[in-house]
Amino acid sequence: MIDVLLAGPIIIGALYLLYRSLWKQRGYCPRCDSRTCPVKLDRKNP
Amino acid sequence: MRPGSDRGRETITVAVAGNPNSGKSTLINAVAGTRLQVGNWPGVTVEKKEAHLVHDGHPIRLVDLPGTYSLSPYSQEEIIARDYLVQDQPDVLIDVVDATNLERNLYLTMQLLELERPVVVALNFFDEVRKKGLVINIQALEEALGVRVVPTVASRGEGLPELMAAAVQAGQNGGRRAPRKLAYGEDLERAAQSLEDRLQERYPGLAERYPLRWLAYKLMEGDQMALQEANLDAEAAAWVSSAAAVKHLKSSHDEDLEGLLAEARHGVAAGLTREVLKRPGWSKVELTERLDRIILNRILGIPVFLLAMWLVFKLTFDLGNPFVDWVDGVFSGPLTRWTTALLTWLAAPAWLTSLATEGVIGGVGTVLTFVPLIFAMMFFITLLEGSGYMARAAFVMDRAMHLLGLHGKSFIPMLLGFGCNVPALYATRALENPKDKVLTALLIPLMSCGAKLPVYALFTGLFFAAHAGTVIWSLYMAGIVLAMVMGIIFKRTLFRGENPLFVMELPPYRLPTLKSLMIHTWEKGKHFIIKAGTYILAVSVLMWFLLHLPWGVEDKKDSVLGKLGQGLAPIFQPLGFGQWQAASSLVTGFVAKEIVVATMGQIYGKEAEPEETPSLGDDVKDIAMSFGKAVMDAGSNVVSTFGVATLAVEEDEKTKDWRDALQEQFTPLSALAFLAFTLLYMPCMVTAVAYKQEFGTWKWFGLATGYGLILAWLVALIIYQGGKLLGLGG
Repeated sequence: MIDVLLAGPIIIGALYLLYRSLWKQRGYCPRCDSRTCPVKLDRKNP
Repeated sequence: MRPGSDRGRETITVAVAGNPNSGKSTLINAVAGTRLQVGNWPGVTVEKKEAHLVHDGHPIRLVDLPGTYSLSPYSQEEIIARDYLVQDQPDVLIDVVDATNLERNLYLTMQLLELERPVVVALNFFDEVRKKGLVINIQALEEALGVRVVPTVASRGEGLPELMAAAVQAGQNGGRRAPRKLAYGEDLERAAQSLEDRLQERYPGLAERYPLRWLAYKLMEGDQMALQEANLDAEAAAWVSSAAAVKHLKSSHDEDLEGLLAEARHGVAAGLTREVLKRPGWSKVELTERLDRIILNRILGIPVFLLAMWLVFKLTFDLGNPFVDWVDGVFSGPLTRWTTALLTWLAAPAWLTSLATEGVIGGVGTVLTFVPLIFAMMFFITLLEGSGYMARAAFVMDRAMHLLGLHGKSFIPMLLGFGCNVPALYATRALENPKDKVLTALLIPLMSCGAKLPVYALFTGLFFAAHAGTVIWSLYMAGIVLAMVMGIIFKRTLFRGENPLFVMELPPYRLPTLKSLMIHTWEKGKHFIIKAGTYILAVSVLMWFLLHLPWGVEDKKDSVLGKLGQGLAPIFQPLGFGQWQAASSLVTGFVAKEIVVATMGQIYGKEAEPEETPSLGDDVKDIAMSFGKAVMDAGSNVVSTFGVATLAVEEDEKTKDWRDALQEQFTPLSALAFLAFTLLYMPCMVTAVAYKQEFGTWKWFGLATGYGLILAWLVALIIYQGGKLLGLGG
């Protein structure tokens, strides 16, 4: 039971991190910090 | 100057325009403290970008426009720049002019002045002007153009406070500048004046929105986009053929009006240059020309390119490898021990300790081990870009690609793909033709991005240690050659069409400053560390569970990931790596290519045996000493240069286990086939998202994946089966 209580949040956390970094932020590329990131521009000017 | 805002005063919008590679982004970075992408090759800025700062109490919004040679709407850069300048009407334009190339840059200046906005000219690279012994009469240039001209050296911040002060002053003058001083000749100006008069009469109020003389020029050029934008009807377009002054102009010059206007602008730029620029004697052949005689030579150009790339990989490994050993030692030794000790002290269950050591350290740690190599390679690629060599590499390859019927400009995004495929995909925006854009995007995944380097380094270290640099160089070159082959196939099937002429600017050679090299190496390389802390961490954790589910499974082969690998393994049997471990690694590698290595680290990793643990102090001392040794080794490798460093990793017992297991399962031949498959098989998940974003459809990602998988399988098959037939082992 303790194992499930520990493993469950870890798996959910990993899945969320994957979703957030890959899908929501659409990955990370060298231009993300350079103000040229098209993803950020899209978000700013939908 | 400081970034930020000042609420007390109205923001002045300053648009920064200029030719490609005139140093606009460097100038903005220096003024606003931002880190826009910079490179000593054209086309770094494709979309417009913004930065905010306060100068002398005045809030300023700087807009970095794409580099263009003109404002004619032929390429996407030109359309973006012109639309912004005409529609948004910034308060001031800063025209960044490459002072070493005055005549060509002044052509754009002419067009900017036609827009009748306040302009300040930044004469950039002024240090090089002095070095070359050129003398520019600034006062005469100011008088001729009717605008302020400020000499600058953007890379060192010289002249930038004066430039911003001039921009603020120009911005406070109410938006309109004094009438243009330069004229394009009596006939042309008379024709333009007659059209301007008609515009004034027929469209009262139009002058509030657009400079009428500019619209008159656009009417003469037949610029449909500009005419539609200004809502001019067919009647206005018909004036061009009916106005007497225009008829006279046409009849007295045997050329179309667009050509006449271009010629007039070139004429003014050339004449002005002659007036204000004094050159030293021409007997001295400049260094750039001398170097270009070799580097751009028809016969030597490609061998020089191949040699330059080989040197990049050689030096990458000479410099990076000692640090790979060091990071490897830290992760597999002290860090694993400390983590185990901490979790044991916290009375954590055994599986949690295994997740932390085998899953997180075995996965993320294995990827991070190769970060020094990635940084070393990014450093040398940045050096080549900053020196001006990469632009020449594109020029040399342009010639070769044209011979094969491909568009040479495609090679620039492909070279960017050596760093990361994602920005390379975005760089395809610089291509005018949509077909060329898609075609180039389809070829980019064949370039070896930095993420594939850990896989190459792991396998070459185990199987080709003495020739690691050469083997990896071959893989990179194989990617380019296969991209060219696929390019020809696509060009003759899916993307038939003419290749537009590729006019490439060749910047002068420059020695980049160490600071700028460090900044841009960090900018390029840091996302590999961020990836390791985000989705590689997430996948490593999930992979650990997949390797340990059903809960309590004894053998990893019987786990969920093991079963998946076993299901796919037969596909890879003819390629020499039909083991479930290799198949599983390739599947997870779809998320990011480094994960191939992370997966292998977990699959082959064994639970650490209890061992006598050194004290924390001993560990810290050992880490510091081994780092010192790595620095010494890297230094001696680079000094003694060629032929010294190998990728034979100094393994400690833990990493030795799983590397031994790899050596048992692979032969040099099957390892080479595996590397070729990894190079080619499919774009990673982030690149997939970039395809969707850039083209609005999954179709091209689907095609890139489909042909990539087939190509990878065939090439690996040829390597493995061909090698066996040649008796090179099994």
